[in-house]
Amino acid sequence: MSNEFNIKNIAKLASINLSEEEQDSLSNDLSIILEHVNALSDLKLNSQQQEIFIHPLEKELELQEDEVVESLTHDEAISNAPESKDGKFVVPPSME
Amino acid sequence: MDASNLSIREINSLFTKKELKPSELYSKVFENAANSEAALHAHLTLFEEENIKKAAESDKRFSNGESTSLLDGIPIAIKDNINIKNYKTTCSSKMLSNYTSPYDATVIEKLKEQNTLFTGKTNLDEFAMGSSTENSAFGLTKNPWNTDYVPGGSSGGSAASVGARSSIAALGSDTGGSIRQPASFCGLVGFKPTYGTVSRFGLVAFASSLDQIGPITKTVDDSRIIFSSISGEDSRDATSVINNQLDIPSDNTATIGVIKELMEDGISDEAKNEVNKVVEILKSKGYKVKEISIPIIKLSISIYYLIAPAECSANLARFDGVRYGLRVDGNTSYEMMENTRAEGFGAEVKRRILLGTYALSAGYYDEYYGKALQARKEMIDEFAKTFKDIDYLISPTTPTQAFKSGEKTSNPLEMYMSDLCTIPANLAGLPAISIPTGLSKDELPLGVQVMSKPLSDNSLLDFSEIIENEVQFDGQPKGWL
Repeated sequence: MSNEFNIKNIAKLASINLSEEEQDSLSNDLSIILEHVNALSDLKLNSQQQEIFIHPLEKELELQEDEVVESLTHDEAISNAPESKDGKFVVPPSME
Repeated sequence: MDASNLSIREINSLFTKKELKPSELYSKVFENAANSEAALHAHLTLFEEENIKKAAESDKRFSNGESTSLLDGIPIAIKDNINIKNYKTTCSSKMLSNYTSPYDATVIEKLKEQNTLFTGKTNLDEFAMGSSTENSAFGLTKNPWNTDYVPGGSSGGSAASVGARSSIAALGSDTGGSIRQPASFCGLVGFKPTYGTVSRFGLVAFASSLDQIGPITKTVDDSRIIFSSISGEDSRDATSVINNQLDIPSDNTATIGVIKELMEDGISDEAKNEVNKVVEILKSKGYKVKEISIPIIKLSISIYYLIAPAECSANLARFDGVRYGLRVDGNTSYEMMENTRAEGFGAEVKRRILLGTYALSAGYYDEYYGKALQARKEMIDEFAKTFKDIDYLISPTTPTQAFKSGEKTSNPLEMYMSDLCTIPANLAGLPAISIPTGLSKDELPLGVQVMSKPLSDNSLLDFSEIIENEVQFDGQPKGWL
C-alpha cells in the first residue's frame, strides 16, 4: 500500500482549514497510523469474491414504505440553526 | 447499607416494600455527585431540579402499589451523545456546545416509558472518539478508583458516574470498546449488545456499522434489566434487527474458548491472570475449556482504523455550520464550512476525519477501505466457524489496567492499541460483556471479556452472571459516599 499523501489535499476534501502546525503534526500521525494499517496488505483473503455486507449481521437493508410519518416540525428542525430567516437556513454566498 | 450501592432489583424491592422512596434515592445520588464531581468531572450536565417532580410521581406510584416497572424511579445517567428532548447534546465537542435536541433517542423514549429518572449527561471523548475521556472539549474525567488514572473511554463519564454512585446505572455507546473498556477500568459491568438489537436512532453517529448503545452497571443483572428495556426493532434505524434471541446453554454443558491471540504479546501478565483465574473456576465447575486461535484478530486494529474513520468522515460531514451547531464566519459558504470545522473539531476528531477521507479518496478506496471490508468479512466468517464448536469466548477486556492521565495522549497509535481486545466484537457485530474480576497490584480494577454468537445476548448475560457469582468481586472505589 502506498503512504503518499498530500495533507493539504486531504484537508481540502474534508473541508477543514488546517494551520501549518496542524498540517505537520497530523501528517506525522497519519504516516504512523497508515504504516500500521499496511499490515492488511499482507493478508491473503479467502473472501475476495464474496459479496461484502456493510451490516455485520449481513442484514439486507430495505427501503421503507413511502408513507408520511410523524417527524420534527418545521420550527423544531430549524431551532438549532446558527442563522435563519422566514423559516429558512441562511448561509453566506456560495459564489464570490 | 447505602442504597446507592444496591442493584436495581434490590432497590425495586425496597421501593415496593416502602422501605425506601425513589425521591430519597434520587437525593442520595445527587449527594454523591456533590461529593465527587469536582474531583472526577463525570458529568457535563446534572438534572436534579428538573426531575424532583418526576421522583415524587414515582414515590406516589410505589405508595399506591401502582408501579409496574423495575426501572421506575431508578436514577440513570446518559452519555452526552444520546439525545434527550429539550436538553443539550454536546458530544463533548465545541461543535455542538449549544445544540439542544428537539427529539428523544429511541432508547430515551423507552426508558421514559419505564419511568426511569435521568440524572444528567456524562462526559465522553469528543464524538466518542478515544479511549480515555481525555479528548473532551470540556475537560478530563478521572478514574474514581484513583484520580491519577483515566476512567477509560469513550464512555468514561458514564463509568465514573456509576463508579462514584452518582447514578445507579448509565447508558454508554460502544464503537470499538467504549462501554466495555471504561467499565473494566472502573470495576463495573459493561455490556455491548449484538449489533442492531438496540436502536441507534438519536445516538449521534460516529461509525454506523459499529456503533451500539448499551449499559454500564454494577451487576450483570442490572445490565440485563436495562438491555431488555431498551432493545427492540425500530423502523427509524434501518440497521436494527428483530431481537429473536438464540438460546445457548449457560450451565456446564457449554464449551468455552480462550482466544490465543488475545493472551499473547501486548497483554499484561495481570490481565492474563484474570482470564486464567476465571478459566480455573469454570473448569472446576465442569465446563469444557479449549484454547482456540482466530489469527485475523491480530489485524483488528488495522481493519478498525480504516473502517471507523471512513464512516466517521462521512457521518461528520453533516457538521458544516449550516443547520445546527457552531458556525465560524467566512466570505463564502465553503470558507465558512472550512473555518467552522477547523474551530469546532478537536485534534483526534480531525485525525480520524482526515484518515477516513484519505482511505475513501479516489485511487485509495480499494486499497484501504475495500480491503478492510473484505478483511472484516473474513473475521465475521472466522467467528461463525469458531461458534460451531464454542459457546463463549473469553479474553481480557483490556491489555492492561487503567493508564495514567496524559500517559498516551502524545501517541495516538498506542492509545488505539488499548482497544485491541474489544474491537473484534464490534467488527463482527457480536454481543460482548466486561465483568470485573479483581484488582491489580496498583489497586485498580481488571476485567474479563466474554463474547458469544450474534443474538445470544440473554444467554451471554446468564453465563456472565455465573462467572460474577463465582468470582465474587465486591470492590468499589472509596471516598465518594
